[in-house]
Amino acid sequence: MKSKKLSEQIVKTFKSNGFVLSEPDVLLDSEYIIQRSGENFRRSMLTFENEDGKVMCLRPDLTVASCIKFLERKTKSKSKIYYSGQAYRRTSKKGSDLVNDQLGIEILGSKDQLKDDFKVINTILNSAKKLKNKKIKIKVGDIGLFKKLINSLDMPERWKLRLTKHFWRPKYFEELLERLEKNSDIDAVTFDADKKRFFEMKKMSQDTVIAGRTVTEILKRFDKKIKDPRSFSEGKKIVTIIRSFLKINCKLSQLDEKLLDFVEKNNLKKNIFKEFKSILNLKKLNKEVTFITNFGRNIEYYTGIVFEIFAGKKEIARGGRYDDLLKSLGAKKSIPAVGAAINLNNI
Amino acid sequence: MKNLITIGLPSKGRLKDKAVDFLDKKGLKVLQGDKERNYFASIENKSNIKIIYLHAKEIIQRLGDGTLDVGISGLDLLKESEKNLQEKITIKQKLNFGEADLIVAVPDDWIDVQTIADLEEVAFDIRSKRNTRLRVATKYPNLTNNFLVSKGVTQYKLISSLGATETYPFIGSSEIITDITSTGKTLADNNLRVLKDGLILKSSACLMVSKKKLSILKNFLILLS
Repeated sequence: MKSKKLSEQIVKTFKSNGFVLSEPDVLLDSEYIIQRSGENFRRSMLTFENEDGKVMCLRPDLTVASCIKFLERKTKSKSKIYYSGQAYRRTSKKGSDLVNDQLGIEILGSKDQLKDDFKVINTILNSAKKLKNKKIKIKVGDIGLFKKLINSLDMPERWKLRLTKHFWRPKYFEELLERLEKNSDIDAVTFDADKKRFFEMKKMSQDTVIAGRTVTEILKRFDKKIKDPRSFSEGKKIVTIIRSFLKINCKLSQLDEKLLDFVEKNNLKKNIFKEFKSILNLKKLNKEVTFITNFGRNIEYYTGIVFEIFAGKKEIARGGRYDDLLKSLGAKKSIPAVGAAINLNNI
Repeated sequence: MKNLITIGLPSKGRLKDKAVDFLDKKGLKVLQGDKERNYFASIENKSNIKIIYLHAKEIIQRLGDGTLDVGISGLDLLKESEKNLQEKITIKQKLNFGEADLIVAVPDDWIDVQTIADLEEVAFDIRSKRNTRLRVATKYPNLTNNFLVSKGVTQYKLISSLGATETYPFIGSSEIITDITSTGKTLADNNLRVLKDGLILKSSACLMVSKKKLSILKNFLILLS
């Protein structure tokens, strides 16, 4: 029962830091989650069909389940919650557990980014501190920083969209870089044929629907594609910049200097990385913090700071900022949020 | 009989003829009984071999549960089947017939869509404009899912199809399809076009063996190789 005592201690710290218990539903409408998170979620969910023929699932993740609960309550104010419970999911790895104990905190509707990012990390550190005296190390990254870099580079919009959208999927991201390097995006032969068809289609009735899309829609996108620089020769240079950015890995104290160095070496505008105060703020923790650009790339919904906390070699907690998740779960406006969860098994 | 070998062959069409030819060339002459539609056959001078004609999909199921020892069926069907079934079956040899590609196809007139990356952008478009997801009609849900997700397309919904999938985009049942094609004629005739990086799987007929039986069948398999 050691772990029970442990989680009680952690919960106590959560409470004393102003976090309130949230008890999200165990059963969720799986179509609702798939609608919003995509078909790839389906495989990891444990589902069954209820008597109305609706496919339900056991909550695959407590962050997502807590967000759904938050949206159902329709409160507009900021909500500081903690949860302690089980999440259920399948992985492709053989022998991995279906049931995961999750213990974590979230600040939903977090507008004061600087303060709330710090609050979450600090609360997690405080709750872990009571447990062990092992050396605490923090690894941190910032997805926002990568987006800023991409937006500052001179390349077609469609490429910017692809690279930022797939940052969290490293393998496919690498494929994209290879394609960008070789500029194998538009090939001239079929392109000319399609251009001919483009002019034919211009004469058609513009609201004709072809497999769900209107002619206007298709032509508009085609037009946008040709107006984007066609023979895009800068690809190689841009890929080199991106690759060298993803190699930055340094002590937090050296980050300013490293980024400046990177910007100068690649002739980029000086002010592209101006806002990463949330990261620099972590100096206040007085802990060993390492900044890694190539980090936090395994979960789709992170948008800003991402971190993992280690006690010795074991990861004891992880979290980050996810400003778009609530909107993708159905909120009308974007509701910024930040949170973290403790890995009880490693404490 | 202890050393009985049961072989499953496709029950219809070109695949059946080619499979019979293949055995023939290896010196195993298939003898059809006098009832034309009988599902059982034998091999000349080999009383320990039994031939059963089955649906190509069925051959994989029966290899999995041990009813069949050896079978000829499509790679696409094997790869589409459940993972634990696949683990019970070994591909002994790819055969030079039944070649076909599983591909992603879009309407010809979607001239702005040439690659999977285009498709993904359109999927996001559809999602944000109409709050629905791109519908993909297919007979191969597993392979399609794995492929699309690995290529970064997530905003879609599978529509399962039993046949004539090529019609789906034009009758409002889906926007795009994935399907098996060998010459590409059916696709072209139905105003569909394969995406440049839209090859999901290169398939052909394969000689498959139940893993459990591999060691017992060692000598027999040498005969076939």
